[in-house]
Amino acid sequence: MSKIIIGRYIPGNSIIYKLDPRGKLLACILFIFVIFLANNWITYGIISAFALIAVAATKLKPKVFWAGVKPLVWLIFFTSILQLFFTSGGTVYWNWWIFTLSSYGITNAIYIFIRFTLIILISTVMTVTTMPLEIADAMEWLLTPLKLFKVPVDKIALVMSIALRFVPTLFDETLKIMNAQRSRGADFNDGGLIKRAKAISPLLVPLFISSLETAVDLSTAMESRGYRGSSGRSRYRVLSWSNVDWINLGFFIALTILLLIFRTH
Amino acid sequence: MKLKKWFEISLQNLVLLGIVVAMDVVLSKISFGPATVQIGLGFIGSVMLGYFFSPVWSAIGGGVADLVTSAIFGQQGGFFIGFTLTAMLGPMIYSFFFYQKPIKIWRIVAAVLLVTVIVNVFLNTLWIHIMYGLDFRAALIQRAPKELIVPWIQMVVIYFVLEALSRVKIKK
Repeated sequence: MSKIIIGRYIPGNSIIYKLDPRGKLLACILFIFVIFLANNWITYGIISAFALIAVAATKLKPKVFWAGVKPLVWLIFFTSILQLFFTSGGTVYWNWWIFTLSSYGITNAIYIFIRFTLIILISTVMTVTTMPLEIADAMEWLLTPLKLFKVPVDKIALVMSIALRFVPTLFDETLKIMNAQRSRGADFNDGGLIKRAKAISPLLVPLFISSLETAVDLSTAMESRGYRGSSGRSRYRVLSWSNVDWINLGFFIALTILLLIFRTH
Repeated sequence: MKLKKWFEISLQNLVLLGIVVAMDVVLSKISFGPATVQIGLGFIGSVMLGYFFSPVWSAIGGGVADLVTSAIFGQQGGFFIGFTLTAMLGPMIYSFFFYQKPIKIWRIVAAVLLVTVIVNVFLNTLWIHIMYGLDFRAALIQRAPKELIVPWIQMVVIYFVLEALSRVKIKK
């Protein structure tokens, strides 16, 4: 369980680690939109090369990336196979009821397979090379423009950092409560539907009561340390943008232009 | 008048929101049951957000929970804004039905059905369709078996959860 608490961050010191999380997050989000542009073999080749360069630049073992893909392997296979039989067009090789195996279907299934894998690889690069706290800071920065629409971004950021801070604590707490209830006979994995549904409240109620107490204590502590709302405060943890980040974005823009040139219009 | 109230929140509730969001993240990593019918507890987090906070703050809580999950665990299948939107919509729908309202069976049934149809069946399938270029029908077929079974289990669990939570609230 402690492995989950730390998150998926793996320490290292390759160039990707030195990038600003904002640039990385931006590239990661845009990657999913850019991948829409790929629609033939050349563009899929280009985008795969880009993703593999990013993976290689982390200098991490392939095992790390396999761990990212592994939980979704069946979903990827199942999805690709469904796609295989639901796309019609081109040469038909085999046909039964609503299922058709055609040349379009085969290329489409391979495209989807590549898409899935690339998206997972890129987001694994992101989460493995960036600390959760940095990702949260980057997310907060990305939310800043919403201030124009009077969205309470500062409050959202506060909620985010409290949540981030309390996930490990609550994880421990949950395990402790489950063990405590188990030690006096509670069974979370047995019995019918109703019994199992009822078994959740001995877990949830103590968890919620302790959360409520933590919230009261923490808000009192914050107020006694002079917290009077989120605006008009300074920042201790600051992200810094450097030249490497421009190169990162430059790579990304080059990728987009290449895809725009080579895609089938 | 009511709408304006939905936007207000005290510091204590804001901190509680942060902690409930953390609970949501933790619960979504726990699942019960035999290997064949694993039921994730993530929906309980959404229900808790909806029960304790106004639709506005429930939605924000749901969105933050999605962001925090991606920050800590990495989003399986990649960061995509659509999933953040659906993560906001679920708690918001629960909030319309449960926030400052008595617990009624019809509310639970209606809320779960709405969330299942709008969020899980329609929107999440749409995002997968957009993200991976997967055929919409194929994506629906893939989801159908799960979405036909799970809502009924969720209704039973939500009933007991809300009963239990309402007791905590009275004691406070």
